[in-house]
Amino acid sequence: MVTLGDYLFVSGLLFTLGFAGVLLRRNLIIIFMSLELMLNAANLSLVAFSRFRTNSLGQPNYDGQVFVFFIITVAAAEVAVGLAIIVALYRARRTTHVEDINSLKF
Amino acid sequence: MIPAPFLEIAVLTWGLILLMVDAFAGKTDRRGVAIAGILGLLVVLAASFFLTPPTPAAASGFWSFYTADPLAIFFKRFALVTTILVLVMAIDYAPAIRMGVPAANPHAGLGEFFTLPIFTCVGLMWMASAIDFVMIFVSLELVTMSFYVLVSFTRRNPATLEAGVKYLILSALSTGFLVYGITWIFGVTGETNLTQIGTVLATQEIDKIPLLFGIALVLVALGFKIAAVPFQIWVPDVYQGAPTPVTAFLSVGSKAAGFVVLLRVLTPFLMLPQVGRLLVGVAALTLIYGNFAALPQSNLKRLLAYSSIAHAGYLLIGVVTFSGAAVAYYLVAYLLMTLLCFAVLVVVGNSGGSDQIEDFAGLAKRSPFLAFAMLIGMISLAGVPFTAGFLGKFFIFDAAIRQHQTMLVVIGVITVGCGFYYYLKVVRAMYWLTPPADSQPVPLSALSRLTMTLLIAAIFVLGVYPQPILNALDQPAARATISMFR
Repeated sequence: MVTLGDYLFVSGLLFTLGFAGVLLRRNLIIIFMSLELMLNAANLSLVAFSRFRTNSLGQPNYDGQVFVFFIITVAAAEVAVGLAIIVALYRARRTTHVEDINSLKF
Repeated sequence: MIPAPFLEIAVLTWGLILLMVDAFAGKTDRRGVAIAGILGLLVVLAASFFLTPPTPAAASGFWSFYTADPLAIFFKRFALVTTILVLVMAIDYAPAIRMGVPAANPHAGLGEFFTLPIFTCVGLMWMASAIDFVMIFVSLELVTMSFYVLVSFTRRNPATLEAGVKYLILSALSTGFLVYGITWIFGVTGETNLTQIGTVLATQEIDKIPLLFGIALVLVALGFKIAAVPFQIWVPDVYQGAPTPVTAFLSVGSKAAGFVVLLRVLTPFLMLPQVGRLLVGVAALTLIYGNFAALPQSNLKRLLAYSSIAHAGYLLIGVVTFSGAAVAYYLVAYLLMTLLCFAVLVVVGNSGGSDQIEDFAGLAKRSPFLAFAMLIGMISLAGVPFTAGFLGKFFIFDAAIRQHQTMLVVIGVITVGCGFYYYLKVVRAMYWLTPPADSQPVPLSALSRLTMTLLIAAIFVLGVYPQPILNALDQPAARATISMFR
């Protein structure tokens, strides 16, 4: 029997993987993928919470599932804008590595 | 009488119409789009004074996502005024946009640059009214995503593109934290509505550890928006690289919206003592870092970026002491003086080409009016008496002393001293250094001169007569909202 804890563990693992990817990887595209992974970790735990936190009639809490749709939509829009900016950067600099993006002093 | 949601619908529709006009306008001058945008927003601003009062019992359906309390109305007007001023700056900034966007048509990109702030304004207005985490998330993303495009707008300039990418990655990261934090709050309480969450927290015995984890993640995300230490790393680079009107918009609009959401989100959670202690620490760190890192800056945009971090620290003192009126007044003062400084910076930067402080040398001899406007902006930011900036700090410290936050007051007063040094450095450059031999007077359009005059007047009027702002929030319903923070 798969419990709520199992789902939350996998979702936590996905979130950690995504965050580690953002911190450790040096390619902008991979970093962007990792960011999407973090959003999907949230989706997974939202669906799990929604399924296991039932009301008195035994129905799932649909608020969480509706929120997932909003997150998916927003993530798609974010990818569209984000990839466009990364493509523009690649055209200007011929690179997508974060080490090469350092003309502004830190 | 107009129902409150119509304000956003009107702004959104006007933005879409202007975008369509721009698409079919061919080679005509696009400044008309900006003027039309400003006029449209002014009409909506006027309409916001004729709203139907919200019915108290309406807290279901749409009204469980959206509120029209005085705090929300106040920040809707705040967003509208900010956007109008940013559009005025954007008109002055048009030549730089033409150079920064690669296209055959000389007007390419200008229309979008003038309409995107209008869509950001819609997001800011929705954010002011959002009382449900779903609504907060969606409106926050609307604001953030239009800022992605605006920050990297002049994509021929490598610095701008770099700022855009940094903003993109770090904002998307903060979105990830926000969503995951909301997930845990939802998991513990079973609600996304802030009022319902408050009810659940007050009535039911719940697990504190996952709840605090969720709140911490949400606070991290909001910390990014308001530029609080340790989530301020993106601010100096993005502020320096972005087109100047966008920097102004980011530092005022984005920050104010972050503070509204912070006030709303914290309402149900302030009974948890851990949250209060965490915020005191963040406020102290933000004050110290922002003020001390600003000391050695030689680029004015970067200086204003650090100053914006420092002001987030003062605002956080107001949040910690639960004084909604002091935060609102400080944000208005911050709007006036920051936008005044950026307006001068846009005009001077256009004629000189860079934003180094040394380019302001002898500005008082070249363009006395611009130098005077910058002087007023700077002394108000520093907090000289009889300016709005002074009263803002006064209300914040007053609230802190009443709540016995002595440590924050001490740090605040010391850092104000620091502020005097780096703000007056700019004044010194303008009034005491000699201008370069080949310097010309800076051309200034009538619209900008009018705007700057109004801003200067507002800084002095609100500096001696703050009642209009304080009264705007001091209505029965507002008092209820603020007393929730006590």
